[in-house]
Amino acid sequence: MATYSLANERLRALEDIEREIGAILQNAGTVILELSKEKTNERLLDRQAAAFTASVQHVEAELSAQIRYLTQVATGQPHEGSSYSSRKDCQMALKRVDYARLKLSDVARTCEQLLEN
Amino acid sequence: MAQQRALPQSKETLLQSYNKRLKDDVKSIMDNFTEIIKTAKTPDETQVSRATQGEQDNYEMHVRAANIVRAGESLMKLVSDLKQFLILNDFPSVNEAIDQRNQQLRALQEEGDRKLIALRDEISIDLYELEEEYYSSSSSLCEANDLPLCEAYWRLDLDTDSADGLSAPVLASPEPSAGPLQAAAPAHSHAGGPGPTEHA
Repeated sequence: MATYSLANERLRALEDIEREIGAILQNAGTVILELSKEKTNERLLDRQAAAFTASVQHVEAELSAQIRYLTQVATGQPHEGSSYSSRKDCQMALKRVDYARLKLSDVARTCEQLLEN
Repeated sequence: MAQQRALPQSKETLLQSYNKRLKDDVKSIMDNFTEIIKTAKTPDETQVSRATQGEQDNYEMHVRAANIVRAGESLMKLVSDLKQFLILNDFPSVNEAIDQRNQQLRALQEEGDRKLIALRDEISIDLYELEEEYYSSSSSLCEANDLPLCEAYWRLDLDTDSADGLSAPVLASPEPSAGPLQAAAPAHSHAGGPGPTEHA
């Protein structure tokens, strides 16, 4: 796992972990359901139990890694960066373009009126 | 800094609490699952009747299953807290996201300005032709009614607004206006220069 990867990748990894936790509970339920039957399918039982154990260990390892990364990277200070200045500049550029379009439409309308007259 | 915080803990204790929650939840899931499997084994001899033992096992399995689900939900809450912590405190990725956003916005702004400048260059050529047409179509003598192009444009707007004729149209009647001679002088300078009337 790269140290300076995008937050999106880490968030996506955490979402995968969430899905895997759901799968863990589903595996556990399948195993217990299989045990409750009179004639148990042993292969399915073993497979599901192995999947359950592997998933639990995988989830634990991933979450430990995420917590370790956060221990290294986090400070107690709030982040004070922002993209406000460039957003404002971009907004002003869009307003300029809008204004130019408005004026051009006025000139076009005036030319058409004069041509009609 | 005495800011309002949801948790009155330092960063280290918070992360340690995350670790502890993780270990506890995983342990709870594994232990309860193992115990359910063990309880599923039917013993040959029991001290109480089989019905009672069966009822007890049933209740125990229900409780353990509920514990597994509770631990799973607690793990989901932990993942949600980790996501929140990551978004707020992972400075390298926050910096990278801000830089990317700045680059995007700056590129958009530069493209907009570049297109405006290209538009200005094109329009200045057309405006020059329009002005030539306008000043050549007016009477060749300097009259009192001659106005600069911009004045004529604005007067035309006013005329279309007051259509009932409260004020007589300026271009039609030879009405002496306030500064016709002053208006005539810039008219010559407009016709002389090829540049645009308004600077961008």
